[in-house]
Amino acid sequence: MPVFARAQLRRQRINFALFLGPALVLLFLFFVAPIVIDLFLAFTDMGRTLAVGKFTLENFERMFTRDTRLLGALGVTFIFVLATLGIFNVTFALLLALVTTAVPPRLGAFFRAVWLLPRMSPSVVYALLWLWVADPNERGLLNQIVMHVFDMPPIDLRNNHPLLVIILANGFIGASLGMLIFTSAIRSIPEHLFHAARVDGAGSLAIVRYITLPALRWPISYMTIHQTLSLLVSFEYILLITGGGPFYDTTVFSLYAYRRAFESGEYAYGAALSLILVVIGVLAALALWRLMDMKQLLQQPRIEVH
Amino acid sequence: MAADNLVAARGAQARPDWPALARRAWRRRFTGQSMLLAFLVVVSAPIVLPYFWMVVIAFTARTGGVASDVLWTACAVIAPAVLIYSIVHMSVPAPRLRLAAGLVLLAIAGALLAALIGERLHLDNFRFLTRANFVEEIRSKATSGAQFPSVWNAFFNSLLLAVSQTVIILTVSSLAGYYISRFAFRGRSVFLQGMLVLHAFPAMTLIIPIFLMLHWIGLLDTIVGVMLVLAAIELPFYVFVMKGFFDGVPWDIEMSAMTDGATRRQAFRLVVLPQVRFGLIAVAVFAFIRAWEEYIFVRTFLIENKNWVMSLYLFWVSDDVMGVDYGIVAAVAVFYVLPSFLLYVFCQKYLTQMTIGGIKG
Repeated sequence: MPVFARAQLRRQRINFALFLGPALVLLFLFFVAPIVIDLFLAFTDMGRTLAVGKFTLENFERMFTRDTRLLGALGVTFIFVLATLGIFNVTFALLLALVTTAVPPRLGAFFRAVWLLPRMSPSVVYALLWLWVADPNERGLLNQIVMHVFDMPPIDLRNNHPLLVIILANGFIGASLGMLIFTSAIRSIPEHLFHAARVDGAGSLAIVRYITLPALRWPISYMTIHQTLSLLVSFEYILLITGGGPFYDTTVFSLYAYRRAFESGEYAYGAALSLILVVIGVLAALALWRLMDMKQLLQQPRIEVH
Repeated sequence: MAADNLVAARGAQARPDWPALARRAWRRRFTGQSMLLAFLVVVSAPIVLPYFWMVVIAFTARTGGVASDVLWTACAVIAPAVLIYSIVHMSVPAPRLRLAAGLVLLAIAGALLAALIGERLHLDNFRFLTRANFVEEIRSKATSGAQFPSVWNAFFNSLLLAVSQTVIILTVSSLAGYYISRFAFRGRSVFLQGMLVLHAFPAMTLIIPIFLMLHWIGLLDTIVGVMLVLAAIELPFYVFVMKGFFDGVPWDIEMSAMTDGATRRQAFRLVVLPQVRFGLIAVAVFAFIRAWEEYIFVRTFLIENKNWVMSLYLFWVSDDVMGVDYGIVAAVAVFYVLPSFLLYVFCQKYLTQMTIGGIKG
């Protein structure tokens, strides 16, 4: 091998290690390794002592035959994901994107910023706001309105309609991401299409129906899968606002796995439960693939000098 | 001339009344826009009001109660002022006049607020900044649970966590983003597809194995452990964001740098990196805000109270004194939310430039 070629090969390897090395190390250590560990843990009997006693299928047997609470958790998850997604993360996000692009640009940007506020503020603060809104006594923000404006007795939202609270709390955050994606998709529609439709006598609703919505088909399906996935696994706000309660009324599947592991100390069972989520996660991620612009993503780079 | 003749030929009856049509179109547009704006105001009120309520509690509440009348008085002053200003804004075209009207309204609203609720405002709730043992003062010593560390301890832990995580993410994602944007290497498409799966993959499901891993390697209950975990699980997203920014830099710039004798690494450092500085700012701000707000992972991985970050501090304060003293909880919340809020407001224009992966159009 000529000296020049060998030196170039060496430089290529050094560049690879220099540029990609840190990312690879971090990802393998804290992303790929945990997936493998979870796979292994699910078949053990690890309990509070964090020691592995034996390998067993007991966790899965328990999951499918004995765990009566699991069915309830699945039902709650189904309602929670479907309602949040259907009402807020897709439908309302679409509505917000349509309306904020129809008003003057600066006002639209202002309202989008308002809707992004919950996403940008710390989750503990956001949860506190909900606790203050839904406070069952006369100091709760909602009760101040209910009692003085509508002259009704105070309501205890967190105890009587806990599912509604977590759907609203997650929905107000969830709507903003779809809003951003849809807004940029609407912006990228060529302006002349709108003018042409206007000239042909289309009204505002017809323009939305025949020009905007068809252009949003891919972003909407992307958001639907992406948000289904993130709603399935996220339990942060639920844990903070209702703690999964009262009793197990708002314990979604992912929170159930978390509570099993960190409240009851059944780490192996929790790992087995989250293994199901891991499988769903991989499947959904593969589905999302189909919606990404692969050709653009995998485009070959143009300079190959090292 | 031709048009005039044409109109004249069709007779006076058929001639459209242009000014009236223009007025009608303008009126319809005005009502349409007003209805849309009214809709936006109505749906945004449930977001703005709770934040405002938090600020009001923080500055007015005293132990044992909250002053809800202050909230509604303030709303009764501010809402009309905003309404009047928006009408002025829509009907007055001159920016100077708008500014003047805005200033006058601001002065009137400020004076009214000062007169009506000025003396109700106080800073007592912010005493947690100087007194670490305020929880014991509110509840009697016997009933209070955990010993609270000073808020500054939690504040600097949060700052350490957020800044170091941001530095790690900035360095690693700009290196990796540049490499996958510009270099051809074996396994590139496999690597990209793998990253894409990891990007969509919900890291929250891995919290149990990560907990055990940290326990085994001895990083449980340390800031360093949380920092590495947070940086790793967010990394695929930021790598794609940075790749997007690098893709946008024309390669001629780099080529000419290398023609002038720069090595690839010099070209990266001296020529390309300055081109993506807005991307770097966006990533830094986003990563900082995310680390600053993190709750679940720190809740699970940090145990001792000397390692508390702001989110845990706020959580335990609210857990301990919420029933007795709303004011101090709200004050801690305001103190905690302020840095990320300011960053968000001032860096918003950078954040909106982030795109990811290009969704099929």
